[in-house]
Amino acid sequence: MMALGTTEKAELLGRSELFEGAPAAALGRLAERAGERSFADGEYLVRQGQAGTGLWVIVSGSARVVRGSEELSHLGPGQFLGELAVIDQQPRLASVVATGPTVALGLASWDLFAEVEKDPELAAAMLRGLAHRLRQVIGEAHH
Amino acid sequence: MADSDELIDELAKLALFADLDEPQLRAVAHIFEEAWYAADTRLLRQGIGGSGFYVILEGEVAVVIDGEERARLTRGDYFGEVAILLGERPVADVVAQGPLRVLHLAGQDLHSFLLTYPRVTYRVLVEQTRRLRNANRWRR
Repeated sequence: MMALGTTEKAELLGRSELFEGAPAAALGRLAERAGERSFADGEYLVRQGQAGTGLWVIVSGSARVVRGSEELSHLGPGQFLGELAVIDQQPRLASVVATGPTVALGLASWDLFAEVEKDPELAAAMLRGLAHRLRQVIGEAHH
Repeated sequence: MADSDELIDELAKLALFADLDEPQLRAVAHIFEEAWYAADTRLLRQGIGGSGFYVILEGEVAVVIDGEERARLTRGDYFGEVAILLGERPVADVVAQGPLRVLHLAGQDLHSFLLTYPRVTYRVLVEQTRRLRNANRWRR
């Protein structure tokens, strides 16, 4: 597995809408806490019904999003899963399974909270990001 | 008007402020203004204005989008933060469904309030996430 540097990790995490507008220093600290993990073909990144305890971004390889026996979508490099679950730790609505050898960068909920607590600017930036998404969703539903 | 200690006891029971200690609650009671509204008052108007962050102490409001009621909010719930955070107009009407007692914070004070109380911000973040999940459900 090719290890990512902190800068690369920060750049990957920074692509999440969740961290849009987050201070670069905060992203750097999140990147230091984030860890790479390899998954074998067929291995679960997350399981349906389990509490979400983190977010993942695919570094290489790919994964299938499945609910029961139904395949919902496919995730490739740069794509995220668990962006909401990392915050509210709700049970996952679908499972995500590696298709072929896959590497993902994970950020645990508790590491995110620790940073949010230390860095209110990060929390405020995340709040703005979510507010923006909320508004988009409501807008799409009505127009 | 409830005296200050009574108000602090009330605040301590709200989930939004559950992580704050007494001196912090006292500060919050000082920063927010207590306000009362009659039934049918529109606190926020969709696409028009009304600004501020409101936390409901007593009573109930309806959240109305394009004339359609989407949600009811009650004691401990709050609203108005999305428009302030985005610097945009409210996306919904918020209408008192009977006599309403709230805490109000002026829009321009919200940012510094959130920076001062990261645990409150975190609570809002979780709530916002829940709302986003619900909104996604409507869309389907």
